[in-house]
Amino acid sequence: MTVSPLQGITHACFGLSYLLAFGLELARPAWPAAGWRAAALTAGAAGFVAHTLYLFIHHPTPAAPYGSLLWLAWVLALFYLGGTVRHAEQAWAVFVLPVVIGLVGLSLALTALSPDLPAFDLPGWLAGDRFWGVVHGSLILLAAIGVSVAFLASVMYLAQARRVRHKVNPARVVPLLSLERLETMNRRAVNLAFPLLTAGLLVGSFLLRHDHDVDSWLSLKVLSTGGLWVVFLVLLYLRYAADVSGRRLAWLSIAAFGLLLVALGAAHPFVQVRSAEFGIRIEDQAGRPGLDRDSAFRIPHSAIPGGRA
Amino acid sequence: MNLRAIGCNVASAAVDLREKLAFDDAKRSRALAELAARYGAEVVVLGTCNRVELYLARPEVAGPVHAPLVAEFLGEAHGVPADRIQPHLYEHADAAAVRHLFRVAGGLDSVVVGEGQIAAQVKEAFEAAQQAGAAGPLLNTLFPAALRVSKRVRTETGIARGNVSVASAALVFVRQVFDTFADKTVLVVGTGKMGRLALNHLREQHPAGVLVTSRTPERAADIAAGCGGRAVPWDQLDDALVRADIVLSATACTEPVVTRRRFDEKVRGKRGGRKLVVFDMAAPRNFDPRIHDGDRVSLFNVDDLNAVREEQLAERRRHVGPAEAIVGAEVTRFVSDWNRRQDGPVIGRLTAEVDKVRDAVVGPLLEKLNGRLTAADRERIEGAFRLFQNRLLHGPIAALREGGGEPHGGTLREALMKLFGLKG
Repeated sequence: MTVSPLQGITHACFGLSYLLAFGLELARPAWPAAGWRAAALTAGAAGFVAHTLYLFIHHPTPAAPYGSLLWLAWVLALFYLGGTVRHAEQAWAVFVLPVVIGLVGLSLALTALSPDLPAFDLPGWLAGDRFWGVVHGSLILLAAIGVSVAFLASVMYLAQARRVRHKVNPARVVPLLSLERLETMNRRAVNLAFPLLTAGLLVGSFLLRHDHDVDSWLSLKVLSTGGLWVVFLVLLYLRYAADVSGRRLAWLSIAAFGLLLVALGAAHPFVQVRSAEFGIRIEDQAGRPGLDRDSAFRIPHSAIPGGRA
Repeated sequence: MNLRAIGCNVASAAVDLREKLAFDDAKRSRALAELAARYGAEVVVLGTCNRVELYLARPEVAGPVHAPLVAEFLGEAHGVPADRIQPHLYEHADAAAVRHLFRVAGGLDSVVVGEGQIAAQVKEAFEAAQQAGAAGPLLNTLFPAALRVSKRVRTETGIARGNVSVASAALVFVRQVFDTFADKTVLVVGTGKMGRLALNHLREQHPAGVLVTSRTPERAADIAAGCGGRAVPWDQLDDALVRADIVLSATACTEPVVTRRRFDEKVRGKRGGRKLVVFDMAAPRNFDPRIHDGDRVSLFNVDDLNAVREEQLAERRRHVGPAEAIVGAEVTRFVSDWNRRQDGPVIGRLTAEVDKVRDAVVGPLLEKLNGRLTAADRERIEGAFRLFQNRLLHGPIAALREGGGEPHGGTLREALMKLFGLKG
């Protein structure tokens, strides 16, 4: 069987490209030559292309921690590229790229630690199999994007607010978006993420009830996602019903992102319990398809670049 | 080159004299016509709030126009005794005049180094001279070159980087907080000059509304009328603060107008979490600095704005050296190009003149020897005279070409024309 060279794309390919882009972005204030920006953007774009190809070739499932983190990192990488082009003078990449790199790194760590590397059954999913499982996963992933954007806006907000509080000369620092703009970005992201998260949680609850799986209600993933929902509720209350400063809202958004990471990083009960619901294709060591949660069905590590052989 | 830059600026003359010597459009048109006619010169009159300068170019054979004549003219034009004007005038000749104009256009001679407005003013002065038909070959070449130099200086060095006026520094701070001005209300508290200057700057961003309040309602009404805003009674200051997004305060009050307690009790809670940026430009200060939290309320005083301005100016001064180097190189290039342009016709005339002399000598000689010379002999004799002529002229022409880039290039050309009896 012929193996495409694209099969050789690993986490390291796009992770290091993003890291290089980040390094070049950091160098811009010290050596403000136009070439640095172009070089950084090229490195970032190369990372994004590699990242996209990896997802296209290996289609990791968003229901598994390593997959969901990779998908989220991909969306944020897109966010980074768009923002870098649109806000050319702003210190945009310096804030977005570390999150992208962190998510890729976390995904890589989970790949190394986890014995299971399930892939997404794309044909099955496209055929409409396991509809509610996919709806649940998609809603949570979209909500995660909103939470991540809110997190980024909050970090930038805190940095800008710190500058304003200390009256730092704006001419001496790389510009950031205005507090007003960042607050709007945060508000829109939270407003968008909350209904998605709520709907995702409702669908998930329905699926767990349907399985009568009491243990999974107390799993780290379910608890942290529930916690995330509560934090969102508090955030919305504080924003619209109470008079709370932008800084506090930013800190809460950051806490929500922390919970999101825990939720995404924790093993999903559906991966073990309801892999069929998600349309997850699990293979045994010999490559035979199977759905038995108790067996050692998994994608062979040797099939995943960067995975243990 | 016979060029003079004569005038006064902020360093050589006090503001009252500069004000008296200022040209409005009508006066400038008259001055251009009068100077061109009186001295047979190309003229550009450059007038800004910091300088009044005349650029005068005449043919090389004519004598230059010196500062006393310009003082006399300015005195007549503005009704000021010439002896009051003359001590304050400076005069730059030829390459030095070119350098002066390039420095002026590049903002190197400005009070605020690298300021951008001067290039537009130079352009406008040149266009006025062109319209009046007062600009000739030299100034038509010099001023576009000056504008090119100005662009080079601004784009190739950091001399024009950053904002250096207090008002623009205020705008930079506002942009850290607000993204758009279209839905913002600006409140002007008091009628101080600083506040009005900042308001003029902020109005260019088209805020939704302007409120003006002052202890003197008439002054508030005047300022409000002048900027399309609305006057607010002084006793409604708290309500105005609740509505405002940006405050420019410059009252002459000796006590703080807005204390922390007053702000917290009567303003903060009613604003619904909206952000407020306050510029307190008064001394002593009008707002209690403790209301600043860098989130909901951002308060900047005149020291904060000046710090930004000073830092920016210091940054610009670092680029003066490279900018001067650009000016120096451009002056050399301009003078050299100009002299070369002038040398061409002189060399042509010189060669034609000596050709004539040679023909006058060789022609009769060949006629006398007619019949005794073969065609080859005639050719040899003509060739020898041509060679003699070329060797004789080689030195002067080479010297003229080599001196093209030097400031004395014009003098050499003049000397050559006199020595060989060439007409200008």
